[in-house]
Amino acid sequence: MRGPPVIELRGVGKVYRTGEVETPVLFDISFPVQRGEFVAIVGGSGSGKTTLLNIMGLLDRPTSGQVLIEGEEASHLDELGRAQVRRERLGFIFQFHYLLPEFTVLENALMPCRMKGSDFEAAQEARMRQLLHTVGLGDKLRNRPGQLSGGQQQRVAVVRSLANSPALVLADEPTGNLDSRSGRVVFDLMRSLSRESGTTFIMVTHDDDFALEADRVIRIKDGHIQHLATGAGVAKATNPLRLAASNSPV
Amino acid sequence: MKFSYFTLSVALRHLRYGVGQSLLTIGVVAISVLLIVYLRTVIGGTQVRIVNNVTGVIAHIVMEPAERTPIGAWRLPAEDRQALYVGETVKLPRALDKIDDWPQWVQALERDPQFTVVSPVATGNVFLFRSARRQAVRVTGVLPDRHDRIVNIESNLVEGRFLQLIAGEVVLGRKLADQIGIRLRDKLRLVGPGGQALSVTVGGIYQTGFGSLDEGQLFLTLRDAQSVLELGSSISNIALRVPEIFAAETIAERLAVRVPFRVRSWISDNPSIFSTLDAQNQTINLVLISTIVAAGFGIGSILIMSVTGKYREIGILKAMGATPPEIQSIFVIEGFLLAVLGCGVGIPAGIALLQALSRVRAPGPDGRIQSVFLIEIDPALLAAAAMVAVSVGVVAAFFPARRAAGIDPMEVIRGA
Ligand SMILES: Nc1ncnc2c1ncn2[C@@H]1O[C@H](COP(=O)(O)OP(=O)(O)O)[C@@H](O)[C@H]1O
Ligand SMILES: [Mg+2]
Repeated sequence: MRGPPVIELRGVGKVYRTGEVETPVLFDISFPVQRGEFVAIVGGSGSGKTTLLNIMGLLDRPTSGQVLIEGEEASHLDELGRAQVRRERLGFIFQFHYLLPEFTVLENALMPCRMKGSDFEAAQEARMRQLLHTVGLGDKLRNRPGQLSGGQQQRVAVVRSLANSPALVLADEPTGNLDSRSGRVVFDLMRSLSRESGTTFIMVTHDDDFALEADRVIRIKDGHIQHLATGAGVAKATNPLRLAASNSPV
Repeated sequence: MKFSYFTLSVALRHLRYGVGQSLLTIGVVAISVLLIVYLRTVIGGTQVRIVNNVTGVIAHIVMEPAERTPIGAWRLPAEDRQALYVGETVKLPRALDKIDDWPQWVQALERDPQFTVVSPVATGNVFLFRSARRQAVRVTGVLPDRHDRIVNIESNLVEGRFLQLIAGEVVLGRKLADQIGIRLRDKLRLVGPGGQALSVTVGGIYQTGFGSLDEGQLFLTLRDAQSVLELGSSISNIALRVPEIFAAETIAERLAVRVPFRVRSWISDNPSIFSTLDAQNQTINLVLISTIVAAGFGIGSILIMSVTGKYREIGILKAMGATPPEIQSIFVIEGFLLAVLGCGVGIPAGIALLQALSRVRAPGPDGRIQSVFLIEIDPALLAAAAMVAVSVGVVAAFFPARRAAGIDPMEVIRGA
């Protein structure tokens, strides 16, 4: 028996207000994501992908609707409450890695654990060492982020997003700042880590090849969900992404 | 404030990573702490020495019988203005020139923590006879163990004793002894204003370097002085010492309204010295405040630079779930640590400097070798300097810290 969806959006809408000007960005978005799914979010620039991901990551609040994390309404918690959920149950990967230059690769990967205390950090250290080995950074544990290439830094960020064994990892164009080869490495890593650990991933991407390898693709256009394709087993010819991609501005 | 493993370790790592800036800031704090300790101690000691030099070695406060002084009618409250002269109606509860129930007064004053030394004194002028010579001198009868803490005789003894002074012995200054040609254990005769005579032996000779004390002064036991001055069991005044010489006047004024005596302080006796020293003190305080403010700006500005430079990393930490109080704590801890480390350098350096200065010796005004600086290292001053530095560090860190805590992770994510 499956538990509640890892995350579920119910009628989420977002309107940005700048003084008198109101910019509606998202309209009535609803979908659940089940445990272990790897979901790609695609859509043109300015279509609202980052806004949606920030709302799912409890960094931003929806103007209307609800965000349920593992069955509990979370978007209306106060700042401390949302920080608590982020720290306990969510992992983040951004376009830029933003590793802390003062800390080693291993310490950076362990940073979310460090927030929970030294005991927890110590308990997770072996696991994170192993993960860093897995992603090919076993000989860089004691290096500073500045001594790594962009792709390597982003791999550290991927490992870091898994540090607190989150229910859900949110990644906003994690390969957007990398050359295609490093981007491939990072994506494959996320995909395999998600399979092995059963962690749910939601990834915004501009790269259709990556999107095709997701379990599910959510396409956003002008703040509406345009297509929902479920299951990687969908025949490629009938994959709605392909159909939609032909008139995509990307 | 959150002193957690996370906040402490990030703060420490920031400081260690920017070690150059950290050391510079620690240096600025250390210098300001050193300045506080050094200026307050050395200038304070110099001021004590100046006060001592100018006034002779005196009590900070003297409580003595009030004189009968006419009060001008214009100084009376309005309803009493009909009177032109009220001098005769002033009631004097005590005999005019002596304090007779002094043991009670001494006891009462001793219970007051404002006074560190309470010393009853019987003093007056007598004639000193030595073979054919006759000379007017001032005798001061004291309880030596008490009075030595007001006028430092024992440590200035050239020969003989003072603290163990017994009846029939006198202690006098080197200059006076040379003048009349007497030595230790010589005999003298004193004759009081009422004709009362007393034979005494020289029990000690001192040299303080203060003219008034070394030339015309003779110490003897309280009882001997009472007898040669024919005071009976009364005394002339009570000498007091207070911990903070510049508070003497305030304390004297407060005491004056509680006792039926005249109370004067060294300040009211020497108004010009006091105003000079007061001006000097205000200058020092201005210098000290400036250095403390400079140290505060030092800490504040490196933290502002740090927060600005780490804008993105802070935003990401917050996105990962670091709370605003945690982020704020990281930077407040940094300010706190910089100040504490600054004290850790500045206070030992200050102590070392003061100890070195206290060993500097040179001939004093009287030709004797003495230490140039009067240095007493005051633990309370050290603690106060450390407290000031640490508070300034925390306050200076507060504003950059609050800015860091307010960084919006969304702006960082979008604004890359
Ligand atoms: N703080 C904001 N205030 C007003 N409009 C905003 C704000 N943030 C984003 N937008 C607008 O919302 C729309 C969606 O932005 P975003 O979610 O970043 O799109 P995407 O990530 O798909 O490129 C854009 O038109 C953008 O200009
Ligand atoms: Mg975006």
